[in-house]
Amino acid sequence: MFEGDGTSKFSQLPPEMLDFTILKSTSALAPRLGRLSLPGRTPLLTPGFLGSTSRGVIPHISQDNFRKYTKLGGVYVALEDFIEKHPQKTPPIFSPDGPESLRRFIALPENTLLVFGARRQPPIPTPVANTNTEAAILTSVGFKSISSEYYAAAARKLQPDIVVGLADIPFGQETVGTKRKDKMSDRTENWTRDIIAKRNDIEKGGEEKRWNIFAPLLPIDRDLQSWYLEHLVDEMADKIQGMAIYDAYLLDDLPEELHHLPRLSFHVPASPHELLRQISLGMDLFTVPFISDATDAGIALDFTFPAPTKPKDMQRSSRHSLGIDMWQSAYSSSVTPLTEGCECYACTKHHRAYVQHLFSAKEMLGWVLIQLHNHAILSSFFSGVRSSIESGTFEEDMAAFEAFYDPNLPEKTGQGPRVRGYQFKAEDHGKAEKKNAKAFRKFDGEGTEEKVKVYAAHGQQPSKKKAVEDRIDDEALIGLVDLANVEGVEGLSIEDDSQGYREPQAAIEHRS
Amino acid sequence: MAPVPMPSALTFELLGKCSVTKARAATLHLPHGPVPLPIFMPVATQASLKGLTPDQLEESGCRLCLNNTYHLGLKPGQATLDAIGGAHKLQSWPHNILTDSGGFQMVSLLKLAKVTEEGVRFLSPHDGAPMLLTPEHSISLQNTIGSDIMMQLDDVIATTSPDLARMKEAMERSVRWLDRCMQAHKNPERQNLFCIIQGGLDLDLRRECTAQMVERDTPGIAIGGLSGGEAKDAYCKVVDTCTGLLPEKKPRYVMGVGYPEDLVVSIALGADMFDCVWPTRTARFGNAITTRGVLNLRNAAFSEDFSPIEEGCRCVCCRKRDEGGLGITRAYIYHVTAKETAGAHLLTMHNVQYQLDLMKRAREAIIEDRYPAFLHDFFAKLYSDKGKYPEWAVTALRGVGVDLLSDDAS
Repeated sequence: MFEGDGTSKFSQLPPEMLDFTILKSTSALAPRLGRLSLPGRTPLLTPGFLGSTSRGVIPHISQDNFRKYTKLGGVYVALEDFIEKHPQKTPPIFSPDGPESLRRFIALPENTLLVFGARRQPPIPTPVANTNTEAAILTSVGFKSISSEYYAAAARKLQPDIVVGLADIPFGQETVGTKRKDKMSDRTENWTRDIIAKRNDIEKGGEEKRWNIFAPLLPIDRDLQSWYLEHLVDEMADKIQGMAIYDAYLLDDLPEELHHLPRLSFHVPASPHELLRQISLGMDLFTVPFISDATDAGIALDFTFPAPTKPKDMQRSSRHSLGIDMWQSAYSSSVTPLTEGCECYACTKHHRAYVQHLFSAKEMLGWVLIQLHNHAILSSFFSGVRSSIESGTFEEDMAAFEAFYDPNLPEKTGQGPRVRGYQFKAEDHGKAEKKNAKAFRKFDGEGTEEKVKVYAAHGQQPSKKKAVEDRIDDEALIGLVDLANVEGVEGLSIEDDSQGYREPQAAIEHRS
Repeated sequence: MAPVPMPSALTFELLGKCSVTKARAATLHLPHGPVPLPIFMPVATQASLKGLTPDQLEESGCRLCLNNTYHLGLKPGQATLDAIGGAHKLQSWPHNILTDSGGFQMVSLLKLAKVTEEGVRFLSPHDGAPMLLTPEHSISLQNTIGSDIMMQLDDVIATTSPDLARMKEAMERSVRWLDRCMQAHKNPERQNLFCIIQGGLDLDLRRECTAQMVERDTPGIAIGGLSGGEAKDAYCKVVDTCTGLLPEKKPRYVMGVGYPEDLVVSIALGADMFDCVWPTRTARFGNAITTRGVLNLRNAAFSEDFSPIEEGCRCVCCRKRDEGGLGITRAYIYHVTAKETAGAHLLTMHNVQYQLDLMKRAREAIIEDRYPAFLHDFFAKLYSDKGKYPEWAVTALRGVGVDLLSDDAS
């Protein structure tokens, strides 16, 4: 049923127009199947997920490996990864002319969907507040603000496939007052209008590519964003192509007139169980930051959906772990794949013993292999989810999954994870700027209300133990710490043909 | 007294010799397939090349890479290597592996190492327990690793050491240790043991050592103890002296050499094989090796340079999108270097490809007997004018009949 439906409609669309076909949907707050198509791009089946990039690349997966070894149909790219020179200089990313300059710059394949937003997922909280005209971001050199116009101009220059509209969300604040929430709604509406206007400046069917817009659904109660939602429905519904949802439990508040649009979740899932819960509410598309978090922690994800059926005679009292900690030496002689039956590069070409060795030796390739594997695990997971929805067994399969697996990913035990310096600093900053406490409301299946924190503030926890830092050896330097902070690197000058070229320390270490 | 000559698990097929210099082109047939000589061997110290998959290394054209016995002996350790079935199976590398014996690491990495006749005593980096690496132990480890080329354990001291007596002792001990290595070697029919010529910068010691080593008739011969910070003139003299005394039909490996101009000069002096961590190490700091010299792509000048790392390079990064490559630009490397590991991976692939491609071009030039012209061209591209040519290179090449400063590029 994935193929066929809607293709005739698809062929009549303008060339850059996104088509979202709902292939199966039973009721409003229920899992649904869909297909996101854009001319020239591989159609994306939903529920599905986007690869999360950092500076244009999925961490540890160089662009050639991305092509060869991942099945990702789309990636998410954040503007804040590219504009550290702003506002003193025009960031280099805006220099090249020609179509799809962002895609070419990051060497993304032609057929991969490129989704563009202002901030990474999850965003690091900023001490700088948003204003009526500007949103705070975090670049690799610090906090900045960008205006709505700047954002729209960036989108126009970079020409992604989908642009997620700027949302006014005070990330990291645990409580937000009612007045502030009113502002969130007002500003987000203005900014959404801005981006629509900018996009509509581009002539239909002209030379310049017209991108698609996903409008935010804010993580606040419906009555607090009712004006914004009304205007979305009345004035903008035909100008937006999807929704970006910051709190999955507010999907109930999504006006029915917008139900036909694809829903991209920016509600950060902490586990596959949470992905399933969001899917059960009708979410279509995800970014899954826990993939890279697990990779950085040396955890090879190990779960399938539906969960394996337990043999009757082998009932276990404990649930299965969602991942394997590859820092553990238990696997040092194990020539089995990370996950039996997994078809990823790491599992078909290598074995646990090698991956364990790489971690033990702190070789970068360890992270590469686990990252490829973890993405493959998620690809299979979503594929299993779609089959399950199709066959109408999703609710049972979800219950069985929750019964079979631990509720949380395993704790990190080894050294690492790899920390990007600017995230670390930001995290610290966020803590120092401790804000008040209050939660967004969660709607759960029972109809009871429970307070939960917004997950958006997740950062990676660096090891603060000096002893551990000291054990990071140069061979794996880049795998574990931010090179920007490594002594000596900054001082390296350009050594060109006029000087002869010698790296100062190199001579003694030639032979290794 | 030298032991009975051992069988060889390689054949050396000489394809051509430069009619001016001492450069040679050959094909070395090894247990895991043929490799072209001259060759640069990337260093995958701990059974992994700086984040590259074996497939990426293979795509760069590499068919022979290094592992280190000392590192693999510590991790994953001999028992694990035994259980897995050697280093090829550990890292899923179907091509050739050369293992360094561990002597050099012992001395350079471990301050507390002490060399005795028995072997190298050192404290375990894991628990501080006293350990002893003997020639027998090194060979046993290398037999377990299953490398296609094994190196003898040698007594390495810095070439710059002024202590001639200690230098002579180290040279003579290295010969004795070679005998013990040969005795201990269990798989001569499928693993090749190379001797290592020592003797510091003293040419008489080198000559004496070369004679003794050649007498032992190992399948290949290495010149060791160099690239420890000695003057380039002295380095060239040692290489030139040793190759002059070596049999033609055996591969000659100069250990620890990898700067492009060192490679092309050493080839002219009659060396065939080289290894160095520099090209891959330097990649992680944003340094790209090109025909025009090394570019530090972390320099802000490259942030707006949307040209490939090197125009015309055939590596997967530099090839254009419509040629099946990635179309990676200098500006992108600037953007990711030192911020994402993938930046290091991309530049590592480029640098490895550059080194292998340089060897390939040198080999073609030798086969077509135009190596002197190749040298002229190489230095002309690397330096903006002849006044900047390094003196040591000019001198060394003059010694083998090539005058870089003359305009006659024949």
